Amino acid sequence: MDTAAVRAMIAEELARIAADKGETLPPLDPGTVFLGGGLPIDSLDLATLLVVLEQRTGFDPFRAGFRQFTTVEELATLYAAAAA
Amino acid sequence: MTAPPWIDTRFRLTEYGETLGWPSLALRAGALEQAFRAGHGRAVIDGNRVATVIAALVAAERAGVELALRRPGAEVPDGFPAADGFSVLLPTSGTTGTPKLIRHGLDRLRGRLRGTGDHGARWLLTYEPASFAGLQVILTALAAGAELVAAPGEGAAGLARAAVAAGVTRISGTPSFWRAFLMAVGDRRPPLASITLGGEAADQPLLDRLAAAFPGVPLRHVYASTEAGSLFAVADGRAGFPAAWLDDGIDGVRLRIADGILQVNSPRAMLGGVAGKGGWLDTGDRVVVSGDRVLFVGRADGRVNVGGVKVSAEEAEALILACPLVADALVAAVPNPITGHILTAAVVPAAGADPGLVRAGVRDAVAGLVPAARPRVVTLVESIPLDSTGKKRRRVEP
Repeated sequence: MDTAAVRAMIAEELARIAADKGETLPPLDPGTVFLGGGLPIDSLDLATLLVVLEQRTGFDPFRAGFRQFTTVEELATLYAAAAA
Repeated sequence: MTAPPWIDTRFRLTEYGETLGWPSLALRAGALEQAFRAGHGRAVIDGNRVATVIAALVAAERAGVELALRRPGAEVPDGFPAADGFSVLLPTSGTTGTPKLIRHGLDRLRGRLRGTGDHGARWLLTYEPASFAGLQVILTALAAGAELVAAPGEGAAGLARAAVAAGVTRISGTPSFWRAFLMAVGDRRPPLASITLGGEAADQPLLDRLAAAFPGVPLRHVYASTEAGSLFAVADGRAGFPAAWLDDGIDGVRLRIADGILQVNSPRAMLGGVAGKGGWLDTGDRVVVSGDRVLFVGRADGRVNVGGVKVSAEEAEALILACPLVADALVAAVPNPITGHILTAAVVPAAGADPGLVRAGVRDAVAGLVPAARPRVVTLVESIPLDSTGKKRRRVEP
């Protein structure tokens, strides 16, 4: 599982989470900041995304404590590293 | 209008980018005072704008009436008896049902303000204005003659932008706020001189991350509740509080543990309080003594904190179980690095039920709860695992 695969998963699941709220997610770049104000999501939505990613990948990169991330690429890297 | 003694007239409020000083606030207060005097002992005001809250506090004190601050979903019920003279009535945050109303005197709300000597400070308001914690921040900035930066209703991203733009120096927020704030500011950090956490237990990893992001900046976590008022602050950067305080007390507050629950005896408890024998008040917080520390391990009623909102897995589960297409369900609180905890649901569909309709039914069943109190991820399963006593295995971790 490489970062591109995780990024695709993030885009798919975040679009679903936004759609549940009646929002449309703009296209994500690797450098998109989750909570920077450019996406129609809040911290509860981001928390939801992490639960879904753990279910889909079987990995929880935060199990040993918080890992700093702000962008799509940084989060994808955490999951890809946990899976490696 | 002369400012009351609890306002330093150097105070400025920047709310959604618009800055007001005492003269503007005094004009608003004067208009409200007329209306309050014509009322019948209680003034009720929407508490969703800081400028309105400040003007209403000044006006209600001058008019000698009780001020009830209304929040969305928290109306003041008819027939709730008004106090004699000035006091402040605050709705507590509930996830459902009727919010409790708690009455405070201004002197008690102002009981433990910190930072009132720093008129050069720029505070960021991260709490709702009409909440206990929100009023503490507002009253601190007023007393200091400082600047208060506010954008009620904005999420962490909007507040982070406002904090960076205004160069705020003091922020008080919940641990959930700080987690989201750290993610939102990235490397554009405001010039903080003081960091305060409150409203839910501060965990060690977050305290460590804040210390790393803002090296050398004083870091305190405070313990307070709507019923008990402000109790104490911990400034050593470690989670929990020193076990020695169980013997010695702290800042006039006595502490003890009864059946694993922290009890407090405070001179700053609410007016007409609900304290039991000898003034001891049950906090509902479960604690354990670990070495030289007392650590918070959850709520006695099983509620968990989801992004600063106390929610009940059982409450959501009962709503889902009432859905006719659901045969069984388990709602669990799982730890989450962003919001502290989050609720998830495992749902067993009724025999032959269409999965899409089951999901829709579950969604409708919890739609009346605030977003944090709803299970955010719903998984359809064939059965709910039971533990050795035949009960559902409910994973609720501190």
